[in-house]
Amino acid sequence: MAREFQRGHKAKISDLTAGTDLYVGVQITGPGLTFDISCFGLDADERLSDDRYFVFFNQPKTPEESVQLLGAQAGDTESFRVTLDKIPPQIQRLSFTATLDGAGQLSQIAPGYLRIVAGGEEVARYPFSGAEFSTERAVMLGDFYLKDVWRFAAVGQGFDGGLDALLKNFGGEVAQEEPAAAPQPGAGAPSFAPPAQGTAPPAFGAPSGPATPAPAPALQPAQGFAPPPAATPPQAPAPPEPTPPMHAAPTIAAPMTPPGGGPVPPPAPAPAPYGQPPDQQQPPYGQPPAPSAPLPPGYGQPQAPQAPQAPAPPPGYGQPTPPPGYGQQPLFGQVPGQPGAPAAPAGYAVPQGAPQGGAGVAAALQPYKEAPTGQRWTQQNKKMVRVDLGMGGDQAVLARQGSMVLYQGKVDFSYKSAGFSGRIVGNATGQEMQLMRCSGKGQVFLAEKSAMLHPIELQGDAICVSAENVLAFDETLQYEVRRVEGHGIPGGALFTMQFQGTGTIIVKTQGAPVVLPVTPTTFADCNAVVAWSAASQVIVSSQVRMRRNAYPGDTGESVNLQFRGAPGNFIVVQPYEV
Amino acid sequence: MNQQLAGFAPAPVAARMENHGNHMLKVAMQSGSDLLARVGSMVAYEGFVQYEPNPPAVRQIARDWATGEGAPLMKCSGDGLLYLADYGANVVVINLNGDGISVNATNLLAFDAHLQWGVERVKGLAKFAGQGLWNTKISGQGWVALTSRGKPIVVDCGGGEDETYVDPDALVAWSPNLKVKGKRSFKAQSLIGRGSGEAFQMAFSGQGIVVVQPSEDSTDRLRLRG
Repeated sequence: MAREFQRGHKAKISDLTAGTDLYVGVQITGPGLTFDISCFGLDADERLSDDRYFVFFNQPKTPEESVQLLGAQAGDTESFRVTLDKIPPQIQRLSFTATLDGAGQLSQIAPGYLRIVAGGEEVARYPFSGAEFSTERAVMLGDFYLKDVWRFAAVGQGFDGGLDALLKNFGGEVAQEEPAAAPQPGAGAPSFAPPAQGTAPPAFGAPSGPATPAPAPALQPAQGFAPPPAATPPQAPAPPEPTPPMHAAPTIAAPMTPPGGGPVPPPAPAPAPYGQPPDQQQPPYGQPPAPSAPLPPGYGQPQAPQAPQAPAPPPGYGQPTPPPGYGQQPLFGQVPGQPGAPAAPAGYAVPQGAPQGGAGVAAALQPYKEAPTGQRWTQQNKKMVRVDLGMGGDQAVLARQGSMVLYQGKVDFSYKSAGFSGRIVGNATGQEMQLMRCSGKGQVFLAEKSAMLHPIELQGDAICVSAENVLAFDETLQYEVRRVEGHGIPGGALFTMQFQGTGTIIVKTQGAPVVLPVTPTTFADCNAVVAWSAASQVIVSSQVRMRRNAYPGDTGESVNLQFRGAPGNFIVVQPYEV
Repeated sequence: MNQQLAGFAPAPVAARMENHGNHMLKVAMQSGSDLLARVGSMVAYEGFVQYEPNPPAVRQIARDWATGEGAPLMKCSGDGLLYLADYGANVVVINLNGDGISVNATNLLAFDAHLQWGVERVKGLAKFAGQGLWNTKISGQGWVALTSRGKPIVVDCGGGEDETYVDPDALVAWSPNLKVKGKRSFKAQSLIGRGSGEAFQMAFSGQGIVVVQPSEDSTDRLRLRG
């Protein structure tokens, strides 16, 4: 599940994903606006000391390919592939920026986001919108930075001056940047320069005439950042352009077929076991074969609009490049792009090497390591929490019976009897709520049924929690059971526990909850509501709707709770109806 | 349509076993290096992969499994990509590299067939029926994939005399060199009215790690499906 970031939020990448091979996608659009999205690789002083680590449309990757520009993909205006463990040690920070190209200001942008995808799953998303900006023309969206481990920070800082202000901020200069636009990428990359027509990048005084990526021949320092006259936005590459000559250049790294009428790659040397003609252009999995589309040997997404830009297609991430070692064999009738592919590995080449970060049980389990001690309550991950009983006084903890998964130390578990649980018998589901008292010294790990846990620290305030959503709480908290009665509630009444005092309670929800402010019209399903601030008033509202064609019986949404309260109150609702 | 789904395309193969997302395992199969996987765990495959339920070599050991908490295995061989999952459980991939690990049978998803493995009775727990009685010890040079309901937590036992107590329903795996004991930590009275497995824990001591899942749901879903 994607974690939502807000401006200023930070997190360890390792908390987001165990992987180090990340996809970073940026969506930033606005009516009539075009953006240049780039990545600055900065040193420890946050300076751009090495031009080769300024990844942008004209330099789509760093020398060792730790950061690669992938172009527009899957709803993202621009995307990068970042391989954290390939980043050289002198690079301590990767800053993803967007700069406005042409007139406009950032307050005009539509809601966009920066997201991190790892292993096919979006793990983080930082949404932003034009309301956060005013007249700025550039924005630092987010940073990956190295502080012991790689972390991600949602920055969202705007710069009035646009790209040159941004560059100055990073210690780069305009004049320095121009040569940076020139160098050829590493060996084997197809020529990355934009085609001659139209799509010349507007910034950095890129040559408007010849499309060769030769070292910036016609630099015009005076208008270094002014768009060249003939430039059209880089965001809108025109796929069916006449084939630029450089596209016919043999691509070495990947089987990109030259667009259009480019030379057909040599037929597959091996017989195609699946009976496909070796050089058949198979559009796998129903992709529309765009005119200039490369031959995606599988798994790809249509990348036609990106083709003219033709950066060295990095493997993976839905690029049409076949994954190395898997797709390159001619076994499946794929067209090998390599003319005379040197001894393509037969079959599915299985790398047997050690995984990143070493091998062995300990290394493999490193991402799941226990979080360090320090506080009385420590959330280990979304679904498990640890309480350190010796810490913060000798208070005991009351926890739902059966929620202990592991403990260390001398911990005594005893039945929490007395009238409390008796009173709560027969709550909404008819189950009993039984508590156990954990006392002594040691660490207890609590979890239940993979529910998400939310430690809530009360400092004198009060909260009502639906009884079945309480996992554990400090014994120091005062609690009382409240009944919300109403016609139609299963079991006759909803039992909630009102907590008050100073301490922590652990609330569990099935799935990520939503926290709503209490407004004059706030309703919640009595089965899905988890908690609400105790100052809000609860009213049971039965919705009676006469509909002739309604099914016999009820619609299932007849009994709601209405909440009323002063501004500042909130309710928590889970996506799960018990 | 493909645009939206493109983010879920498989990443290039980098290792024998890899996670695709948190909940799916991707195995690069190659003839000659077979894989033992839980019966019913295959969700997709590509290429030539053949499945042999309870192969003869396994059957002998599997007899032991049948008596306890064992889970039936199938042998997968061939060339291709194999995707395994267990009803949305998190998948943890481990490259053993000579280490060993003891796994609760229901939490085992797949492992390389060439690894040394065997079904063992957990010592010291013979009196208790139910969970944790049988486990699979796997060691050698190769890959193992475990499942966990929810993201697991790895706890270091510390190595001293202190014991780490684990709810057997939440236990996923542990280092085989740990000493295991059964322990009733709840007072007898407290058990009245509660018939679940919370009555006893497994106590681990020694040098090593214990992996627990944030759920006490140890239902074997693959087995339930029948």
